[in-house]
Amino acid sequence: MRNSIEAHNRVKDFDWEPSYVAKPNWYPTKYKIPAKTKDPFRHLVREYLSMEEEKDNREYGSMEDALARGQASAKAEPRWMEIMKAVLPIINFGEYAAMKSTGQLIETIENAELRQGYLAQMLDEVRHTHQEAYLVRYFAKHAADPEGFAQGFKLRGTNLFNRAGRAAFETFFVGDPIEGALNLQVVAETAYTNPIFVALTELSASNGDQVTPSVFLSIQSDESRHMANGYSTLAAVVSNPDNLPALQIDFDRAFWRQHAFIDPFMGAVWDYFQANRTSSYIEKWREWIDGDWIGSYIERLAPFGLKVPRDYAAASERTPWLGHTAAMVAFGAWPLNFWRFDPLTPADMEWMELKYPGWYGFYGKFWDEYRRRCDPRNGELALSLFPSMPPLCRVCQMPCVFPRPDISTCRIKEYGGKRHAFCSSACESFFDQEPHRYLGYSTFYELFDGYDLADYIIENGLLRADGKTLIAQPWLDMERMWTIDDIRACRYEIRNPLRNGE
Amino acid sequence: MSTGTQSPRDFTYIKPRKRRLSEYEAVSCYTQPDPNVFDRQGWYLLTFEGRAAWRSESTRLQHPHWFDFRDPSGLWQRTYVRLQAEQERAIERSVEDAALAGIFRDFDAVWLNEIIGIHYRAWSFFEYGLFRAFSRAQREALADTIGNALCFEAVDRIRHAQSTVLYLMELEASVEGFKDNSGKEHWLNDPVYQPLRALVEALMATEDWAELAFAVNLIIDPIVSEIGVSRMIRHHAPHHGDPITPSIILTTERDRRRNRAWTEELVRMTTVDVPAAGHNREVMQIWCDHWRPAAIAAAKAFSPVFNRVAPRAPSFEDELAAACDAQADIITALGLVNRNGV
Repeated sequence: MRNSIEAHNRVKDFDWEPSYVAKPNWYPTKYKIPAKTKDPFRHLVREYLSMEEEKDNREYGSMEDALARGQASAKAEPRWMEIMKAVLPIINFGEYAAMKSTGQLIETIENAELRQGYLAQMLDEVRHTHQEAYLVRYFAKHAADPEGFAQGFKLRGTNLFNRAGRAAFETFFVGDPIEGALNLQVVAETAYTNPIFVALTELSASNGDQVTPSVFLSIQSDESRHMANGYSTLAAVVSNPDNLPALQIDFDRAFWRQHAFIDPFMGAVWDYFQANRTSSYIEKWREWIDGDWIGSYIERLAPFGLKVPRDYAAASERTPWLGHTAAMVAFGAWPLNFWRFDPLTPADMEWMELKYPGWYGFYGKFWDEYRRRCDPRNGELALSLFPSMPPLCRVCQMPCVFPRPDISTCRIKEYGGKRHAFCSSACESFFDQEPHRYLGYSTFYELFDGYDLADYIIENGLLRADGKTLIAQPWLDMERMWTIDDIRACRYEIRNPLRNGE
Repeated sequence: MSTGTQSPRDFTYIKPRKRRLSEYEAVSCYTQPDPNVFDRQGWYLLTFEGRAAWRSESTRLQHPHWFDFRDPSGLWQRTYVRLQAEQERAIERSVEDAALAGIFRDFDAVWLNEIIGIHYRAWSFFEYGLFRAFSRAQREALADTIGNALCFEAVDRIRHAQSTVLYLMELEASVEGFKDNSGKEHWLNDPVYQPLRALVEALMATEDWAELAFAVNLIIDPIVSEIGVSRMIRHHAPHHGDPITPSIILTTERDRRRNRAWTEELVRMTTVDVPAAGHNREVMQIWCDHWRPAAIAAAKAFSPVFNRVAPRAPSFEDELAAACDAQADIITALGLVNRNGV
């Protein structure tokens, strides 16, 4: 390229104001974006293609060659590999939703500089969607236990945590395109991709999974550009003071919607599925979210009038407990999932107490009892340890048990002749602002209230290839696995906790 | 493992098009959720205006299971990026070699200044408009395999637009006195390009993603791009001392063939063995009747430019008639009728 600055200027001079046919307003936005801003992405399509091709060659080459021949995935810690069955289909939808989000931004935001960034991100998101689906299939082929990898994309639709993940990531593209950018680029990508794609790779590697890091680090090399997109979008929004009142409301909501799903879920993944223990989730959270995101990124925007999210203090206070509570629900409800669980050992429990002082007092008894209920010969489900299945939040789809069952912030209210549960005052406030946005679906309990657990498992395809054994198991013991007959013998009925005033 | 039977080691919920599941199918299929497939609860969020993530009314075509669609090219991100990176490298090399060999100085003046400097440059705005239209269309498509094809087409179009700009910069550097500074002015005001601009503005305002693909890939490219780029520039360039531009255009024709093929597949999928085949045929017939005259009008407006390029036979009218006949063959092969002649 003879003169790359000139080339960048010229490729940004394609826009014109249509004069024959007016441009429809398909994705209404309440924000006013200046027509010219800084360019977050100084790459031509030609340069982008060559860069991504090289990254693809490195990543897929290593997966197909050395890692496959060395049977890296079959040798990884089974405890760790199991949770990848849940993680990958969830993240995959995030990427796919992001592709749709950037399509909306390209359409709506009349700013050539920002559009340069969005267009590369659009293809990046296809890349990540395909990389992660490829990784799931790779694990289906190479992991010790393929059940759950092979069906993950099918089973995620009715899974407790995958549903909540979908609810969190629909925010990327269902709504005002700028609200989508706040959820996607400013919160999910800037705050959370470092813990997910960078820090998680340390955990993968220390648990013998050498394949995930090669995919995730390649993804993260694109994410840094997306963070720049987020920053430039945000800078463009705050440059017009008229945008500020709406921005703060949307930003507050974006933060909580991502936090309400990602922190409980990632906390449980992090602290309960590492076999060779390294750091705790809360340590990473303090470093990446509290330190980097709030401490440097968001506070740099303070002079423009953007404040730290309204519910950030509440989030910070409750985050230490979220993963533990989510893990308790996930392990307790193990038959509803599509991966295997490895109960905490006494050494794990010591680590929990060390990293989260007071942990045993809140969760220890559950784990003592859980271990006993792993063996199907005992005929007791861990689910029976709970007085009822938890209500699910109308807004974020998470179980309403957070931050801890003893101090749950669950609230229930009537609206439109029905009772609705909310996990927190924040989610309730979003519902109060725009209730119609959260009423377009059937709830889990509307579909499955009154089901025998065994029928639920059969109907939702949660059995292994033999048609008898559950995909999910409460422990890693492959000799003593639960079958559908074991479940049926327990006579557990799924009951809507909001049913008829109960 | 003691499950008794062999555990699946592949995505058995995807019905492969051929005997075995392809890499393309494995990474693409069912990455888009759908309440009629695996996501029974529906959509968890609506927009303020009340719309859900995806809506069946985003196209007038009907199909019981859009996820059956397969792009005949079988491209997924890795193979798509590899293809386009190769095409861009090929362009970069041939342009660099041509510059070093002094070939650009052999272009005749009318060809350089009027055809490449104005006509081909104005064309890049058309491609850019299509980039924006296809970017939005990919957002709305009702299955992942269709959304990906639309997304790749969006990237094709921005690639064409940008590579034209880079090419003209190289010409500026190689040919004294040549300046790339009037393409936009002609795009906005020259009567030759106004029907084309009106056409792309109409495409940018077309809500139906299937209609966009149908109109562009089966009607507009076969007539307008065929005349305006392939027959006018690629075909005549060698007569004007230009062996280079055709090699760039050939990469766009490769993209066009791929986009035509997947759109033909979409038409087949919606008109053969589905309950709404008759309805879909009617809808596409309406699209055909609507877009063909606009495409022909846009192409006809190029006639003065064409006559500067190729005063000798075949005449512009013959060329246009040949393009329209070839386009008509595409349409009739799909079971539709051409009701609007040249």
